[in-house]
Amino acid sequence: MGLEVSKPWQQALDKIRTWARVNSPWAIHFNSGSCNGCDIEILATLTPRYDVERFGIKLQGSPRHADVLICTGPVSLQAKDRLLRIYWQMPEPKFVIAVGSCGLSGGVFHGCYNIVKGIDEVLPVDVFVPGCPPRPEAIIYGVAVLLEALKSGKRPERTMTVELPAGFEKPQAEVRQ
Amino acid sequence: MSSLEETLQRAENLLQPYGQSFNRPELNRLDVYLQRENLLAAVQALLEARWGYLSTITGIDRPSAAVEEGQTPTEGEIEVLYSFCSGAAVVSLRVRAPYSDAALPSICPLIPSATLGERELMEMFGVKVEGTPDTSRLILADSWPEGVYPLRKSFVPAARFSGEAKGG
Amino acid sequence: MSFEPLGENRFIVPIGPQHPALKEPGHFEFVVDGEIVTGASVRLGYVHRGIEKGAEDRTWIQNLYLMERICGICSHIHATAFVQGVEKLAGVEAPPRARAIREVFAELERIHSHMLWLGVAAHEGGFDALFMYSWRDREVVMDMLEMLSGNRVHYSANLIGGVKYDLNPEMMDKIRDGLNYLEERLAHYLDVVNHDETFIGRTRGIGTMTREQAQLLGAVGPTARASNFAFDVRVDAPYAAYAEFPVEMVVAQEGDLHARFVVRILETMESIRVLRRIFDNLPESELVTRVPRRIPAGETISRVEAPRGELFYFIASSGGEKPERVKVRTPSLCNWGTVITLAVGHKLADMPMILAGIDPCFSCNDRLVMVKRNHQDPQVWTWADLRNYGIEYYR
Repeated sequence: MGLEVSKPWQQALDKIRTWARVNSPWAIHFNSGSCNGCDIEILATLTPRYDVERFGIKLQGSPRHADVLICTGPVSLQAKDRLLRIYWQMPEPKFVIAVGSCGLSGGVFHGCYNIVKGIDEVLPVDVFVPGCPPRPEAIIYGVAVLLEALKSGKRPERTMTVELPAGFEKPQAEVRQ
Repeated sequence: MSSLEETLQRAENLLQPYGQSFNRPELNRLDVYLQRENLLAAVQALLEARWGYLSTITGIDRPSAAVEEGQTPTEGEIEVLYSFCSGAAVVSLRVRAPYSDAALPSICPLIPSATLGERELMEMFGVKVEGTPDTSRLILADSWPEGVYPLRKSFVPAARFSGEAKGG
Repeated sequence: MSFEPLGENRFIVPIGPQHPALKEPGHFEFVVDGEIVTGASVRLGYVHRGIEKGAEDRTWIQNLYLMERICGICSHIHATAFVQGVEKLAGVEAPPRARAIREVFAELERIHSHMLWLGVAAHEGGFDALFMYSWRDREVVMDMLEMLSGNRVHYSANLIGGVKYDLNPEMMDKIRDGLNYLEERLAHYLDVVNHDETFIGRTRGIGTMTREQAQLLGAVGPTARASNFAFDVRVDAPYAAYAEFPVEMVVAQEGDLHARFVVRILETMESIRVLRRIFDNLPESELVTRVPRRIPAGETISRVEAPRGELFYFIASSGGEKPERVKVRTPSLCNWGTVITLAVGHKLADMPMILAGIDPCFSCNDRLVMVKRNHQDPQVWTWADLRNYGIEYYR
């Protein structure tokens, strides 16, 4: 990073960043091979009954704008590459929420030949939302848990290295908080 | 019920010249066992008479150990069912192809929508469908190894489901 | 479906692989000449999990839960097709009340699925208000399903030999109230679809498919019925309790997108009518019959009408605790063929609506990217290329 700031400034900036992030997280949704059940529930959180947009949570299409990746499904072999691409395209810091039993462990699809068995095999997952499918309330709560953790300054430790998908260049400017 | 019977009878009459043997496993079903060479002609006969529509193409792996057929040769076979439906009636054209010569003629020139089913057959069972317009991968991942056909019985997934049924 | 060699001003526009269900999630490539689509192809398999193989490793009962999870939108109908096949093999029949309750779930599911589709299809066309309204009203059905089964999505109502949940008069009264509300709303949506100027502009005469085409391309379900290709498994080969509580087939003549909207909305109203009839005459009986754990050897074909069309199960048993082969042919698979053909000759901007028109289990939003640049060398652009291009463009 070229920009050098003094420590108090840095702290103030971090505070503002966290404030902004916690107040309006943007999320991208990706289905990596789930049955649809979780996806319609995620979509249902956007619609008038649950309406997460009034809390500032916005679901939108481009990974480049997203803070949170909401991912469902047991990660099929074919979707794995796409999932990694989406993850790499997201700017730092990024967080992953795994939704649904099959996203957690493969669930009912355990033993099927075309799956990786869970999102945490591929990406570092911050919040797991169990259920087949989880209710929209549970999904919202999952996001709330993540935000709470961010607010209190707790960042999950990242020990996992994420594979670079074939033909993908690593983004050069990685903004680390 | 009588109209169902009539519909099936009509199909049986249409397919009489091509089928080796006919079987009625259920009230609404007619199974017609065919030689590969007769497949196109049989499909053509159904189409020309406007008998129903092609519902699906099902492959079944019949490994050599199969004993349910009396005269099963030692070599395993892939059995393919072309199921045609008309109302409640289902006619299945059943064709067999041995492992060593797992090839079938494409019915796409007659029924364009068969392409998806035929591509599935190629990928999942390793049946070569001769003359099908598109042979690119449809279902399996790009990284899937060539020559491994998941729906053959010889394919065993690495992490096999082992949940034993308990209790009665 | 293979492409012509790419000419001067042709581009391939890929549409991303983001959406669910067994094999339906697709990656599309449209060849465009200017604004007009001249060819299309589909690549499936992003959500291929290997269920048909997995089914061979599971017992009959375990499979019931696996089959439900083929699709989260039509989970009940998948399980119904499976248990009906197994029951046929085992030579038992579910009791009358169980069959009627299966029909209740199936029709509630159809209402939820069609309303979901109405919203998503409207969203693809840019009518987000309709999307929000129809999803708001859909919650009424979700509440009913939750009341009956305790779960909003995978109700798991079926058992081999019967059903798990019973209906009591209070539940039926509550559902009746909900249905009254829904009927009113649907009448409003029908009015919107038929009379809204912009809506008609986006749907009438778009993606028209003749009856012959529908038959040749193997269209099923509401997509086929909108083209006057009248077949509905519920009517032609009644299963569950459809013989006692028949539905009337809804067909339309036009075969365009507009007709598909109308057919689906009318079908939903028909479901409401049938549900009321079932509630008035629900037969009394046991809920489950006894089924042996080992299913006798044999083969059977089980066909049901899913919200999206004919669902086809082929089940083979070798007499053991596990099936020999389960083949599932989902309705969307048939309808892909129609999209690939219908796309040709239309504007790129109509693609999302045409895609959504077949209701291809589009629960998350596949988005469309347009390429408008004079590229010397026509080439395939990947998702990432397009995205980069988009970001550069708006910088």
